Amino acid sequence: MPSDRGHRFTNSRYFEDKGVGLGRRVRLGTMKTMRRGLRMPRRRFAWMGVLAVVAMLVWVAGGTLGHAQAQTAVPMTPWGEPDLQGIWSVELLVPLERPGGTTTEFYTEEQVAELDRVRATGSVFGNHVRAERGSEADVAGAYNAVFTSQRPTGRRTGMIIDPPDGKVPPLTAEARARQTEIFEYEAALLQNTVVCRDNLDGCIGGAYGSRSPLRDEQPPYYSTRNINRAYGPEDRSLNERCMSGNLPNFRGGFTGIHYRVVQSPGTVTIFYDVGQGQGFNRVIPITDDPHLPAHVRQWWGDSRGRWEGDTLVVDVTNFSAKRDFRGSRENLHVVERWRRIDPETLEVVSTLEDSTVWTRPWTVIQDFARQPEEPNRIYYEPRCHEGNYGLPGLLVGSRAEERAFAEGQGPDPATRCIAGCSSPEGRDPLALR
Amino acid sequence: MRNRIEGLMLGAVVAAAAVSAVIAVTVTRAVGQVQATRPARTVDDKPNFSGIWQALNEAHWDLEAHEARSGMVMQEGVYPFEFAQVPAAPVLALGAAAGVPGSIGVVQDDGVIPYTPEAAAIKQENNENWIDRDPELKCYLPGIPRAMYMPHPFQIVQSTNKIHMAYAFTSTARTIHLDTVDGPPDYTYMGHSVGRWEDDTLVVDVTDFNGKNWFDRAGNFHSEALRLEERFTPISPDAIHYEVTITDPNVFTRPWRISMPLYRRLEPNMQLLEYRCIEFAEEFLYGHLRKEPLVTRWEGETIIVDITRKIPAGDALYDWYRK
Repeated sequence: MPSDRGHRFTNSRYFEDKGVGLGRRVRLGTMKTMRRGLRMPRRRFAWMGVLAVVAMLVWVAGGTLGHAQAQTAVPMTPWGEPDLQGIWSVELLVPLERPGGTTTEFYTEEQVAELDRVRATGSVFGNHVRAERGSEADVAGAYNAVFTSQRPTGRRTGMIIDPPDGKVPPLTAEARARQTEIFEYEAALLQNTVVCRDNLDGCIGGAYGSRSPLRDEQPPYYSTRNINRAYGPEDRSLNERCMSGNLPNFRGGFTGIHYRVVQSPGTVTIFYDVGQGQGFNRVIPITDDPHLPAHVRQWWGDSRGRWEGDTLVVDVTNFSAKRDFRGSRENLHVVERWRRIDPETLEVVSTLEDSTVWTRPWTVIQDFARQPEEPNRIYYEPRCHEGNYGLPGLLVGSRAEERAFAEGQGPDPATRCIAGCSSPEGRDPLALR
Repeated sequence: MRNRIEGLMLGAVVAAAAVSAVIAVTVTRAVGQVQATRPARTVDDKPNFSGIWQALNEAHWDLEAHEARSGMVMQEGVYPFEFAQVPAAPVLALGAAAGVPGSIGVVQDDGVIPYTPEAAAIKQENNENWIDRDPELKCYLPGIPRAMYMPHPFQIVQSTNKIHMAYAFTSTARTIHLDTVDGPPDYTYMGHSVGRWEDDTLVVDVTDFNGKNWFDRAGNFHSEALRLEERFTPISPDAIHYEVTITDPNVFTRPWRISMPLYRRLEPNMQLLEYRCIEFAEEFLYGHLRKEPLVTRWEGETIIVDITRKIPAGDALYDWYRK
């Protein structure tokens, strides 16, 4: 397994050196943390030495925790379960799908260096390349590198390890039809805006034309993405509604992923710091109890954990139909395998299955680097909602535009772009959106 | 090094003792066909607070003693007396389910929150403008101590260097640090919790609040100068004595205390379910900003209820973001 360790904790420095702007660390830490600097105590668990004793006693006691393996170097909790605790973060950028034209599972060091150079000098999202000043595309690209995390390139060419081609499996005919219907609806609402006039990404193959009658119809499915109107909160994406922190979460939105894992005997809890203040807390019971009744649905599903050797295996079902992962909703079934592959690295392998959406299951691998405990650098509070002046502002603005148009004082609101308006220029070629 | 070796040996002894405790002092429940076991003490010989807990009282309505009333929101009835008020429009359709239960209160000593005169006036205003001011109705992060006695369960995940509390309400959480960590980079809704054990009592100092939270639905409030000392002491394996000393010189003339039991949720297969209330509050927060509001006057044989919300100056939604 190639080591990415050289990159650890290089995020901020990387971009300061290159004058690309400051990433999340600064937003998160403000000056208070910066003054303290980055401290990296590599604490050893004083308890590690007693593992064998605990494991033996548990085994002697006839308990069910006797899986502790004496030969492994994986840290264990004092009560004899594999220890996944700590603050973990994704430090390197790995796209979900392997980029086209790449056939290897890993880049060479030279390729990584070249990708770092290209990404840092020419194409950091919204920073170096701006759309025409004052245009809707320019406003939509306002989240530049000050707000976003730009991570060094990882050696892995893509997160998907199965299928072997590194791509999300083909959609089922049913899912393709659904997707087409959604895209056509979304494009129809954009067809008389700058997005289709200038053929930006958001137009999704639509053509520039007059106002679509679909604008006054509801989307064909519960929309989790921005559609080009703001009749009510449901027209806006889960992101704008501060509810984008969902499972599975392979990128964490603009700001990446930080986990805090805390364990007690029989329970693992994970706080997800994702999506710029849209984090959430997840509790995984270690149990062989059955899942919740089928009609009880949750945004984060229903998790059931079990230990297989050093690995926490989590079975997640009962997802809500209001969330969406690449077209998969209430039928999504995820099996996660959490394992410390060394004291400083947490590996999470997720297998996704939804026969109504994908023609076969597929598997994603992610590596997380352990963060020091003392600086406590995790943005704890999911307070997107508490500061969400953007959503009511957009609703108020839309009502004002409608009034102005009705009074002959402004343009038809249908010609305005409030979804999918950003320019494709300047996108990080490896970043997921 | 010597200390470490001693520590390891001590650890081994403690671990051995604890495993014995698992066998000897286990609380055993029959859960269907499954035997659920829960040791009374942890491996490091602390009271075992891990599990799902909930306050069972009326503190979320009002920390102070209060009598029951017929509506969460009240208006003057046919008599001018305060005791003869009747439920107001926002809850009228809910009948007897919209009432508020009485309480003997959880404020210790004289049972009264020692507000400064200026703060007492603000509390009264808060109370009168509950719907527009209470952060709970907006699904904002509830803060501490309020999260501890909301009518929702929470889960304690007790490790050795961290004790994590996961709250059902808006799926928020806090970590109590038993080890040394730096403070937060900014003031917080949920506070910064640093804990220590005093014998069998978990003592937690909570600081770094942003002053935006309330204590309850009665308008009791605090400022960013709030400091808490929480004390968690086991009463039995299934009950914790929870006590908080509340200090905030901007608002109170002296420190004061609340206390209450927290009860273990003993249902077989109990688990923390989501209460993702951001979505629940959308109609409340943004419903009037829809192109076509969903609330319209009912017609025909259906009762028409006009709800007039007079939002006081300074309490419009956009004002909140500036506070």
